[in-house]
Amino acid sequence: MQQRFWSRRQLLDRVGGGIAGMAATQLLHTETASGSSLMAPRLPHFPGKAKNVISIFCYGGVSHIDTFDPKPYLVKHAGETIPGKNITPSQGTPGGLMPSLWETKKYGQCGMDVSTLFPHVAKHVDKLALIRSMYSKSNDHAPALFQMNTGSIQAGYPSVGSWATYGLGTINQNLPAFVVFSDPRGGPIGGAPNWGNGFMPAAYQGTQFRATGDPIVDLKPPKGMDDARQRRWLAFLQKINEEHLAKNPQDSELSARIASYELAYQMQTEASDAVDLAKESPAMQSLYGIDNRSSEYVGRQCLMARRLVERGVRYVQIFSGGGNFQDSWDAHWDMRANHEMHCAETDKPIAGLLTDLAARGMLDSTLVIWHGEFGRLPISQRMDGRDHNPYGFSIWMAGGGIKGGTIVGATDDFGLAAAENKKSVNDVHATVLHCLGFDHTRLTYPYNGRQMRLTDVEGEVIKEVIA
Amino acid sequence: MHRLLSGSFLLALCAIAQDGAKVIRENCAPCHGGAGLTSSGLSLTGRQQAMQGGERGPALVPGKSAESRIYRFAAGLESPQMPPNKPLSAEQLQVLRDWIDRGAEWKDAPAESVAKVSAELASLEDRPIKPQERAWWAFQKPVRASLPTATTNPVDAFLEAKWEQKGLVAQKPAERRILLRRAYLDITGLPPNRDQIATFLADKSPKAWEKVVDQLLASPHYGERWARHWLDISRYADSGGYEFDRDRDNAWRYRDYVAKSFSSDKPYDRFLQEQIAGDEIWPDSSEAHIATGYLRLGAENNIRNEQTRLDELDDVVVTTANSLMGMTVGCARCHNHKFDPIPQKDYYRMQAVFWPTTTEERPLVGEDDVAKHKAEVKRIQELQKPLKSSVEAIVKPYKDAYIAEKKAALPDYMKLAMATPADKRNDGQKLNVIQVEKTLAGTPDTLPERFSATDKTDYDQLNKQIADLTASMPKLPTAMAITEKGPTPTPSYFLHRGSQKGSVMQPGVLSVATETEWPFPAPPEGAKTSHRREAFSRWLTDTNNPLTARVMVNRIWQHHFGEGLVRTPNNFGKMGERPTHPELLDWLSVEFMSNGWHIKPIHKMILMSSAYRMASDDIESNLSKDPENRLLWRMPRRRVEGEVLRDSMLAVAGSLDMTVGGPPIYPWIDPSLFQGSSKRTWNGRPDEDPTTWRRSIYVFSKRSIPLPMLEVFDKPDTIGSCARRTRSTVAPQALILMNNSFVAVHAKRFSDRLQKEAGSDRDKLISLAFEHALSRTPSESERRQAKEFLAKDSAALVDFCQALFNLNEFVYIL
Repeated sequence: MQQRFWSRRQLLDRVGGGIAGMAATQLLHTETASGSSLMAPRLPHFPGKAKNVISIFCYGGVSHIDTFDPKPYLVKHAGETIPGKNITPSQGTPGGLMPSLWETKKYGQCGMDVSTLFPHVAKHVDKLALIRSMYSKSNDHAPALFQMNTGSIQAGYPSVGSWATYGLGTINQNLPAFVVFSDPRGGPIGGAPNWGNGFMPAAYQGTQFRATGDPIVDLKPPKGMDDARQRRWLAFLQKINEEHLAKNPQDSELSARIASYELAYQMQTEASDAVDLAKESPAMQSLYGIDNRSSEYVGRQCLMARRLVERGVRYVQIFSGGGNFQDSWDAHWDMRANHEMHCAETDKPIAGLLTDLAARGMLDSTLVIWHGEFGRLPISQRMDGRDHNPYGFSIWMAGGGIKGGTIVGATDDFGLAAAENKKSVNDVHATVLHCLGFDHTRLTYPYNGRQMRLTDVEGEVIKEVIA
Repeated sequence: MHRLLSGSFLLALCAIAQDGAKVIRENCAPCHGGAGLTSSGLSLTGRQQAMQGGERGPALVPGKSAESRIYRFAAGLESPQMPPNKPLSAEQLQVLRDWIDRGAEWKDAPAESVAKVSAELASLEDRPIKPQERAWWAFQKPVRASLPTATTNPVDAFLEAKWEQKGLVAQKPAERRILLRRAYLDITGLPPNRDQIATFLADKSPKAWEKVVDQLLASPHYGERWARHWLDISRYADSGGYEFDRDRDNAWRYRDYVAKSFSSDKPYDRFLQEQIAGDEIWPDSSEAHIATGYLRLGAENNIRNEQTRLDELDDVVVTTANSLMGMTVGCARCHNHKFDPIPQKDYYRMQAVFWPTTTEERPLVGEDDVAKHKAEVKRIQELQKPLKSSVEAIVKPYKDAYIAEKKAALPDYMKLAMATPADKRNDGQKLNVIQVEKTLAGTPDTLPERFSATDKTDYDQLNKQIADLTASMPKLPTAMAITEKGPTPTPSYFLHRGSQKGSVMQPGVLSVATETEWPFPAPPEGAKTSHRREAFSRWLTDTNNPLTARVMVNRIWQHHFGEGLVRTPNNFGKMGERPTHPELLDWLSVEFMSNGWHIKPIHKMILMSSAYRMASDDIESNLSKDPENRLLWRMPRRRVEGEVLRDSMLAVAGSLDMTVGGPPIYPWIDPSLFQGSSKRTWNGRPDEDPTTWRRSIYVFSKRSIPLPMLEVFDKPDTIGSCARRTRSTVAPQALILMNNSFVAVHAKRFSDRLQKEAGSDRDKLISLAFEHALSRTPSESERRQAKEFLAKDSAALVDFCQALFNLNEFVYIL
C-alpha cells in the first residue's frame, strides 16, 4: 500500500470541486488552452496488438554482414574490389572486400541465418521478423541516430517514444512513460535530442534511468531528509497551496501543479520498486545473463525494461554501446574484438528478455525492436574494421503484432546495399505505430503551421512483418 | 562482355582526355567553391580562382604540373592527399598532369545541356502572387485607427471596446504588492526585495507607478530578462550540436550583445540590421560584427558537404523568416508553400542573400595585438618542437615492433597483397596495401602500454611539458562572426524538390510583402562583401514592410500578457491564428515605427495601461463568455520559466551574484545524465560553489547536455526558433524541486538568512519569509500553519524555506 502525504479524498475534495471522482492523474496537463490531459491514457486509432515498445539500440552501427545477413560472396572474393563500384567510406582509405570473421548457421523452423555472435538470440528466430533491406539517409552517427529515433536526420524532432506517449498516454502516472537506459561507457552521440520531445511538450521526453543506484536523478531526497520529514513539509506545502487555490478554484493549471506533487511522491517509491532486481529470483537473473560479468549490465537493463513494461511504461529504449569507437559498435578497426565484446554483452540479455516476455504472456503486447543507426561496409577499413554503411543493413522486430520467422528483403551479393524490397526508416516507424494501433498518416501534432508526423510525408507499413 | 566494358571505358577516357577542368569540377570543386564551401579558402571554380589559390598559396601554375598544388596534393606528393578518402585514379591523375602541362585551358561545363534542363524547369519556377493574396491581413501595411473610446491609453481603449461588445466585466486593479511583484518578474525576471516593496507602498504620489516602470526599464536586469526571450527565437546555444557538439567559446559575446541592446533601447531596425549585415554596414564596429553571430547560432553538422551547407542555409532562412517576419517558409525549400502565397522561388532568392556567407572568428583587438599573439604562439610552438622530437624517439622502437606484429597478423589475402610486386597487384590488392600502410603509419593510443617504466615516465613528462606549453598559449578574444569571400558571390540555384538545379538565383525578399521588386544594389567600390545582406536588412526594416513591426510588437505583448495578440507569434500566415485585437496590434506597430523603433516606449505604454494593472483573479460571470480570457478582462496568471524560477530561488536565498555579462557558468549536472566522452563533457561546479550562483541566462547552453532544472520546465531545444514555450505541468518538475541539491543548498541559505534577520522572533521570521519569497505578508491562517510547522524542531526551518520555493504562488506571476 502506498503512502500518501495527504489523502486522496482530501485531494479530490479540494481540487475536485465539480470533478470529484476523476483520478488526480488526469489533472496533469499543459496549456490552459488545450484543456486536455497530457498523460491520460488514450485509445489509438484502432486496437493495436502492442501496448508497449522496447527498443534495443546497438549504437555505433552493428554489422549486418557479421550477424544476420551472411555473404558467402565475400569469402570467395576476399581482398577483391566489387566490379564496377568505387566505395567511398566516411573516413579512411577503402580496402578490398572483407569476409565475415564468424560462421553462420541456420536456426529455427524458418531457417534464418544467424552468426555465432548471437547463439542465444538465434534460438528465438521463429519469434523474429528480420528486415534485411534497410537503408537510411546518413553515414554520420548523429544524423543517423536522429533519423532512427525521430525520423529526421536533423535534431529537434520528437522521438518515437515521444510519439508513442503522445498517442497513447500512460496507464501508470507514477512512472515516466518513456524511459531511456544509456551505456555506462557514455551516452550516444547527439545526446538528449535522441530522446527529445522536439516541438511537443516536455512531458513527452524520455527520462534517463540508471541501471544501478537510484534509477532517476533527483528521485530521492538528499541525505538527511527522511520520509517522515519530507511528508511533513509536503503536507504543509499542500495546505498553503490550497489556500492560494481557493481564490481561483477553477484554475486547472494550479490544481494540476498541486496534484503533481502527489505523483512525484509516489514515483519515489514506485520507480525504485520497479528497478529493484532483488525481487527477482537468481534463476531469473541468470536467464538475463546478470550472473555473467560481460552481460551483467545489459542484463540488468533488459530485466528492468520488463519490470517497467509490466508496470505500464510505454516505451523503453536501451542503448548498447556508448561514447566513441570501440566502446560502441562503431568497429572502424578490430571487428573481432569489437563485435565479440558487444555481442557477448547483449546476446543473453536479449534472449532472456524474449524468453521471459513470452513466458509471462507479455510478448503479444510488447514490441521488441533491435537495430543500430546503420550497418557496416563489406570492405575492410584500417585492415580489420568496417566503416559505416547506411545503404544496406538489418534490423529485427518481435512480439506485439509481429509475425515471427519472417525475413523481408535482401541486400546485394556483397551486403553493400539494400537490393530487394527496400525498407526505409519511415517504413519502420510506420510499422511501429501500426503495431501500437495508429495510422501513421493520422497521428499528427500541429507545429509551425503544419500537421507534423513521425513519418513526415513518407513511410508505408511493412505488411510482411505484421501478424 | 569484356569488349563492351573496355569499349565504354575507352569512350569515357576520350571524353575526359582533354579536360583536366572536368576532373577538377567533379572531384575537387564540391569542397572548393562549387557548392558554397571553400575549404582552405580555395575556390576551384575557374582558372583564375585556381591560380589565385587559397591559404596554402596558388593551386595552379599553367604549364607546370610539378609546381601546381592541385596536382601535388592529388598525386599524394603533399599531405593530406586530395580528395580525402577518394584518391583520383591513375588515369585521372594522368589527365590532370597532361592538361596542366599543356597550359590548363579551362573550359566551362558544356553550357548547352544545362541550359536545356533549365528551360524546362524554369517554367515551373514562377509562381506569381495574385492581388487577392496580398489582401491577407498580415501583408497589409498596418495603419493607425482612431481610438474607439475616450480612454487615453490606446491599450485600454482597444481592450475596452471589445469588453463592451461582448458584455465582459473588467477586473479591478491588482493589489499594489501583487502588481509590483508582477512588474519585477515580468521586466527583470527577479522578485522585488523588501526595500523596493516598501518604497513603492510608501509612495502615495500619482506618479508612483510610473516611477517604478521607469526604474525597471532602466535596470540592466531588464536586458538580461528580455535577451532571454530573444535568445529563444534566435535558437541560441553555446555549442554546435550533432556528433561533436563543439563548444563555442565566444558565443556568449552575442548573448551579451543582445542584453546590452535591450538595455540601451537600441532601435529595433538597427538591432536587426546589425544581426543580418553588421559587417557590411558598420565594418568598424566590433559590436556589429558580434551581432552577425545571429547567422551562426544554428546547430552545426560536423560533416561538411554540399548537403550540410544547404541545411545550414535552410536554418538561417527559416529562422529569419520565423523570428523576424513571422512567416513559415521551410516548406518552400521543396515546393511552393501550400497555404501561404510563398513561392519556392522566394525561398531560393532569400537563400541567395545568405549564400555568400562564410564564418569568421574575428579578432576583437587591434592588428598589433593580433601580430603579437601570432608571434607568441609561434614562439611556443618552437619551444615544443624539440620536445616533440624526443617523444618520437621514444615511440619509434615500439612502433616498429608494433608494425611488424600487425603485419604478421594480417589475413592471408592481405599478406598476399603485400607480397605481390607493386606492378602485379590487382585493384583490391592495391587498395589493401595502401590501407595497411596508412593504418600502420598512425600511432595507436594503446602503444604507451608497451613502454618500459623509464620510457613511460619520460614520455609522460615530455607530453606534460608540451601540454603545459599549449595551455600557456594566449587566447585571442574573438567574435563568432560572419563575412564573405569577396564582392562577387558564386552562383546559387533554384533547387527543384530541394535538390535538382534550376535557374541561377538573384537575391530577393518575400514577394507577397513587397509591391515592387526590392533593389539589391551592386556593392560599393572596394567592398569586401556582396552587400546582399545589407539590402535584405534594409527591406526588413523598411517602414513599408508589413510584417517586421507587427511581429516584434506582438512578441513584446506576449511576454507581458503570456499570449500574443496573435497567438502564433512565429506564424502570421493562413495556418496561424488571427489577431484578437487587430487594430491594437496595428496601432502599436505604427507607434513603434514612428517612435524610431524604440522598444522601451512600447513597454511603457503597455505597463502604464489599466489593463496591465488589473488583478488576475477570475470573474465568475465572464468565464462562460470568454473562458480562455482571450479578451483580457483580467490579467492572465502564468507560470514562470525555469530560468526565472532558478533566479528567484537564488535571489530570495540572498545568494544571487548580480554581475551582468561575461563568460558562461557551469552549474552541477549529475554525471550519469551525460556520461561524457572526451568530446561531450560537462565540467559542472558543485551547487555550493558561488560561481554558479549567477542568473540562468549565463548557464552554458550545451545542446547535448541541457541543465535539468531548465529542461524539465520546458526550456527550448535550441534547434529551431522558439516563439512561445510550452508550459507543461508534470511530476518530474516536482521531483526536481523536492530533491535537487541546488534547491536544498539555497533553501538552507534562505533559512540562514531568515535566522540572521529575525533572530529568535518567530513572528518576525515568518513575516520576513513571506515577504522575501512572495512579496507579501502572510495571512492569519498561513501564519498559524507556519508556526505549527516550525515548532517541531530546528530542521523544520529549512524545510519551511524549501516549501516556499515550491508554492504555486512562487512559481506563478499573478
